[in-house]
Amino acid sequence: MTAVPRNQQAPLRTARYTLFYLCLTAIAVVFVAPYVLAIFGALKPASQVLSSSPWSPPTRLYLGNFRAILSGDDFWRYLGNTAAITVVLTAGQVTFGVLAAYAFARLQFPGRDRLFLVYLATLMVPNVVTLVPLYTMMRQFHLANTYWAIFLPYVLGVPYTIFLMRQYFMSLPSEIFAAARVDGCSEWRILTRILLPMGRPIIITATLIAFVFGWNNFLWPLIVTDTTSKQVLTVSIAALQSSFGEQWNLVLAASLVALIPLLVIFAVFQKHIVRSIQLSGVNR
Amino acid sequence: MHLTDLRHPRPTRETPRPPSAPSRPARLRHLLTAAPFVLPSLAGVVLFLLVPVVIVLVLSFFRWNFLQSPQWVGFSNFVTMTRDDHVFHALLVTAYYVLWNIPLQTAIALGLAVLLNRRMPALGLFRALYVLPYMSTPVAMAVVWSWMFNGQTGLINHLLLLVGIHGPDWLGNAQTALPAVAMVSNWQYAGYNMLFFLAGMQTIPPALYEAASIDGASAFRRFTRITLPLLSPTMLFVLVTDVIGSFQIFDTVYVMTQGGPGSATNVINYQIYSTGFRNFDVGSASAMSLLLFGVILTITFIQFRFFRNRTTYEVS
Repeated sequence: MTAVPRNQQAPLRTARYTLFYLCLTAIAVVFVAPYVLAIFGALKPASQVLSSSPWSPPTRLYLGNFRAILSGDDFWRYLGNTAAITVVLTAGQVTFGVLAAYAFARLQFPGRDRLFLVYLATLMVPNVVTLVPLYTMMRQFHLANTYWAIFLPYVLGVPYTIFLMRQYFMSLPSEIFAAARVDGCSEWRILTRILLPMGRPIIITATLIAFVFGWNNFLWPLIVTDTTSKQVLTVSIAALQSSFGEQWNLVLAASLVALIPLLVIFAVFQKHIVRSIQLSGVNR
Repeated sequence: MHLTDLRHPRPTRETPRPPSAPSRPARLRHLLTAAPFVLPSLAGVVLFLLVPVVIVLVLSFFRWNFLQSPQWVGFSNFVTMTRDDHVFHALLVTAYYVLWNIPLQTAIALGLAVLLNRRMPALGLFRALYVLPYMSTPVAMAVVWSWMFNGQTGLINHLLLLVGIHGPDWLGNAQTALPAVAMVSNWQYAGYNMLFFLAGMQTIPPALYEAASIDGASAFRRFTRITLPLLSPTMLFVLVTDVIGSFQIFDTVYVMTQGGPGSATNVINYQIYSTGFRNFDVGSASAMSLLLFGVILTITFIQFRFFRNRTTYEVS
């Protein structure tokens, strides 16, 4: 490299930095624009959505679309259904998942490793393969079109998060567990006093995975519910879209309501989410 | 999903076993201690994963509409499936979708990772913004994108008009509907995949790049000769999970096109849904599910073979 005097190099570097960040910002615009435009659209009256360009911000704060969506009981019911089902699904999946992961990582029992291989093998089964039989089972047990049917298949723990947590629990120093056993701690006490505090990061990860899955779940609730009283938010938004096709102002407002909880969670747990996605991919 | 573990189980760090095999009462005690921990999830795995796989196999040999008593038809569902143009067409549409989705999405993810793989201020913020779509409800984002792809009022055509192009009715046109749906997935998952590549790149020792620079290797050469080969485990993970996910696309298609126009976006998962839950042809839907299962397993197997035959350089 030819030596460039310092005073000439500095502006060059500044220019390159500016270009670099401009590039990053342009890409960020592509990723964020749909949200911003949806907010713009949801805050405009129907006539303005059709007449103005999508990127022009609303001239005044118009809340009529949100009022229209939220005024009836129905939308609140869907929101309530989704929230309740997601909470139950998450609580069960994490609780039973932690128990299983602890057993596979830290307990001795006959057939343990073979049983774990069975859990791993089920990761190969695509979701759609189980839908027809699951629906058949739910009908057979008179559970079709109930809240139970929506969360039951996922509430007892799923192999994927059990696998993630087991890997993490196995990486914890075994001396602590051995010492606790020598001191006469019961397995339950070890679980609540040692494992839960030490395994916090991965348990938060499992909680986030379960929550996002429950909140976003669409195909299974679509299949297993057929009355509006049991409908969840995603199914109702899809129905709204097909019946109010061209009333974008309303459909956008409804979609935003569904997105808000996830956006809040993302804002709060952003660093954790990024770290945990990388953890789940690389920790192989 | 952690498919690599199925084929190459890493020796796990075991809690030390007692030197001699435990006696019978001890084994029983171990089982009783473990039972309350394992039984709930075991019930879930058996009832909601293993039993359904058996049921779907059984159902594929019957004609049934959920109401009348099932009728044994032997292999007839599979035979009609091979003759049925719908199923073959749906598989083709799915393959076409995967081709629009996976290469571009992976390339974007890789490009973003290269951009962000450095130590500079505020990169964490950009990384978060790129991942944001991954967290968002697919149904809700499909609604937003339907609006943006709308022929008259949509953003895309408004932008095109600025440069004097009259864009098509993207989702109403058989040529453009499928690529449009695939673009939504690319937007949604590129940032997510970027995270895996970023994590993979951070494990590559900087000394390799320094040595290559000293030898006069260009940035492009350093990328193709160092970064890409050393990323191949990450690449395998990303490709396997993405292809499996891509073959099962449903939510976006359901909201944006309902399989249309005509059957232009009638992907296999949508075909299974409408066969089973709109036409109530349970036997055919089960047979198609098994077909999809088989296709996914085959492609996963091929990907493993492909990556195993290439040299990867162990760096420790």
